Amino acid sequence: MKKKHKYLSGVILGAFAVASLVIPAGSASAQYPDKPITFIVPYSPGGGSDQQARRLQPGLEKALGVQVRIVYKTGGGGAVGFGELARSNPDGYTISNVVVPNIVISAKGKDVGYKPGDFSYIGMTARAVGSLMVPKNSKYKTLAQFVAAAKANPGKLTVAGVGNTGAANFAELADILGIKTTYVPVSGGVGKMMPMLQGNHVDAGMTSSSHAVKHRATVDTLVIAGPETSGALPGVPNEPKWTYVTTWGVMAPPGTPADRVAILNAALYKATADPKVKEVVEKNGLQQMRQTPAEAKAYVGVSIKKFSK
Amino acid sequence: MLEGLILALSPSYMFWLTVGVMIGMVVGTLPGLTATMGTALLVPFTFALDPGAGVAMLGGLYVCAMFSDAIPACLVNTPGTPGAMATAFDGHPMTLQGRGQEAIVASCFSSALGTLFGATCYLLLAWPMIKIALLFGPAEFFWLGVFALTIIGSLAGDSILKGLAGGAIGLLISSVGISHGNEIARFTFGIPELRGGVSLVAALIGVFAVPQVLLMITELRKKDSIAEYKPKRGETLKTIAKVLAHPVHVVRSAVIGTFIGILPGAGSPIAALVSYNEAVRWSKDKSQFGKGDLRGVTASEIANNAAAPAAMIPLVTLGVPGSSPAAVIAGALMLRGLNPGPELFQTNETLIYSFGWSLMLAGIVTFILGSLFAPFLVRIISIPLRLLAPLIMLLAVIGSYAIRNNIFDVYFMLGLGVFVFLIKRLGFHPGPIGLGLILGPIIEPSLVQAMYISDATSIGRVFFTGTLNIILITVSVLSIFFVVWSRWKDQAQERASASVEGQSAAADETE
Repeated sequence: MKKKHKYLSGVILGAFAVASLVIPAGSASAQYPDKPITFIVPYSPGGGSDQQARRLQPGLEKALGVQVRIVYKTGGGGAVGFGELARSNPDGYTISNVVVPNIVISAKGKDVGYKPGDFSYIGMTARAVGSLMVPKNSKYKTLAQFVAAAKANPGKLTVAGVGNTGAANFAELADILGIKTTYVPVSGGVGKMMPMLQGNHVDAGMTSSSHAVKHRATVDTLVIAGPETSGALPGVPNEPKWTYVTTWGVMAPPGTPADRVAILNAALYKATADPKVKEVVEKNGLQQMRQTPAEAKAYVGVSIKKFSK
Repeated sequence: MLEGLILALSPSYMFWLTVGVMIGMVVGTLPGLTATMGTALLVPFTFALDPGAGVAMLGGLYVCAMFSDAIPACLVNTPGTPGAMATAFDGHPMTLQGRGQEAIVASCFSSALGTLFGATCYLLLAWPMIKIALLFGPAEFFWLGVFALTIIGSLAGDSILKGLAGGAIGLLISSVGISHGNEIARFTFGIPELRGGVSLVAALIGVFAVPQVLLMITELRKKDSIAEYKPKRGETLKTIAKVLAHPVHVVRSAVIGTFIGILPGAGSPIAALVSYNEAVRWSKDKSQFGKGDLRGVTASEIANNAAAPAAMIPLVTLGVPGSSPAAVIAGALMLRGLNPGPELFQTNETLIYSFGWSLMLAGIVTFILGSLFAPFLVRIISIPLRLLAPLIMLLAVIGSYAIRNNIFDVYFMLGLGVFVFLIKRLGFHPGPIGLGLILGPIIEPSLVQAMYISDATSIGRVFFTGTLNIILITVSVLSIFFVVWSRWKDQAQERASASVEGQSAAADETE
């Protein structure tokens, strides 16, 4: 028995020795980046943020010449992951997905350990406008029919959306249309909301138009937000005054050096230029975006202003 | 459909499927590495493959993990994923009786049966089944959760009150974090990490693994290893015969597993628990459940595996994943520009069917590999306790960290583990706590959503009308009566047997 113990401790020591050889000593090399970059995804695997990270990962790795490691830090509507990034070292080796306006709404009126305006934004890469959807077999075929029914029976129609973010976005549309409905907040993402809509358990559902495109076989879209109609949803009217847009981007911790942010931004440009990435973005019902860090910061600023009321 | 079968049987598809199955074997065995994590880690490797081969690999991993999670559940009483919680109830007592190999082989064979049934439903009945699943709205999910809570009756052990208290503890822990609906932070005590709620996997590791390790430590002086292990020849065939000796039980478990698997959000853990509960309810001789009844193991394993292919049915018919690993598989397809859902059924039918066949083949490959490895796997129980206890602890720490990369989850897991160890000594069973933890995230959001919908009509209309609601309420009430009645009968019998011991023993034999 004794002998076995010695053998075991030998193995453990050996393992440590090998490990210390493999892990390079933390050298302050001049060339950024010279070690793997951690990419935080603050939402569950398979969701929109995961999709964006996975889409960009190969292009970023190629452009930066180092590995990009995706880690999931989920919870609190993104607040856990955003908070983790805020606490990370601002050296450009930890970056994260950002979703606007979710990051703004997650921090609204609460102390979550970060301020949305403080992060070093690298750039927004994709966006989707909001949409109001009904099940395929709904009695409401047009927005006008829906509005008429809602006006005839105030508070009797149910509209599902995702959490507080959905509530804020739908309140804007209800205001524009002058209707009063019952909002049903769904937690756990769009995946939980769609079956409620497809099974006629609510009258309408509201979320990004990317989902309206994805689910066009089972749901009809009544209206989308923004100044223009969408090629992926032919015949669907748009409501210019409705400003609901979901935007996906990449950000670094507050105080990341500008030269490193610039390197990351250049890599992001290269990753989004790949025609394959472009094609997938379009097929998933998103619009691609390319921004400078300054543009990205201003973009978030607009959202902060909008939701500060 | 035939085209899909030919594709699924092609060498490259089979190769990647087997790779997925082997990785699934490791992922499922290690507590904390769930099928969701495993599939997410594999997604980048699927880019180099044909989409069908890629999803075959991911599906293989998912199916196999739903078997291999039974390995630690049976051997060391620690479910490898939440889906194997119910497997441990009888699997571990079997191991303690020296029937470890039988438990593993039975799990493996049951998993294969469940997968075959689930995959057959995927291939043949996807559309009619999804119509039923869509009838489940928030109110129906709420009642399903309430019905599942009645399982406490089977898990409570000696005291029903302690069982109820345990379930309440589980539900309370699951309510930590940002609330549903109004999004207010609850029970977070100002700790930012708690805002995101408690990780189910970390909590289950705390409930099952840590008390087990502590128990091993207290038993160090009494025994060297968990149990003796002597490999038995011909055990595989004998066990298969034993599993098949209960055909009604097998079909019931498979039907329950498939049906619950289809409901988006319910998933394997609930499928396994409901199946286990029904196995207890419908068996004539219930005395051995929880003490090493093979039917307990097979009920759980058939159901959690049937739920895996079933979770793909809402994905291909509605574009909505039925479970977290299914969500990852959906993501892998979307990254290739393929949109899982009714459209894909029209544009790329072959892929849909080849995936179904791959899932079925995954069940067979899992069975072949699992039964080959079983005699070696069971050797885990002969590892000396003083090595095994720290090893499980190490895995518990790694697993609870890996699930969200959050060190707080590790502290929470340890704290909860010590707590459960202590209350176990007071006669509490960890089963109801685990049940509460699993059901909380189903019951609460659906209750809240249904209440919001009630604002538009009325509570009575949303909760108490509709065929499904009535059925679920009725079976819940019956289930509660059944628990009370059978406990009363048991007590009466005990009293009777205390007075006339010989007679009751004879009666037992004739039963």
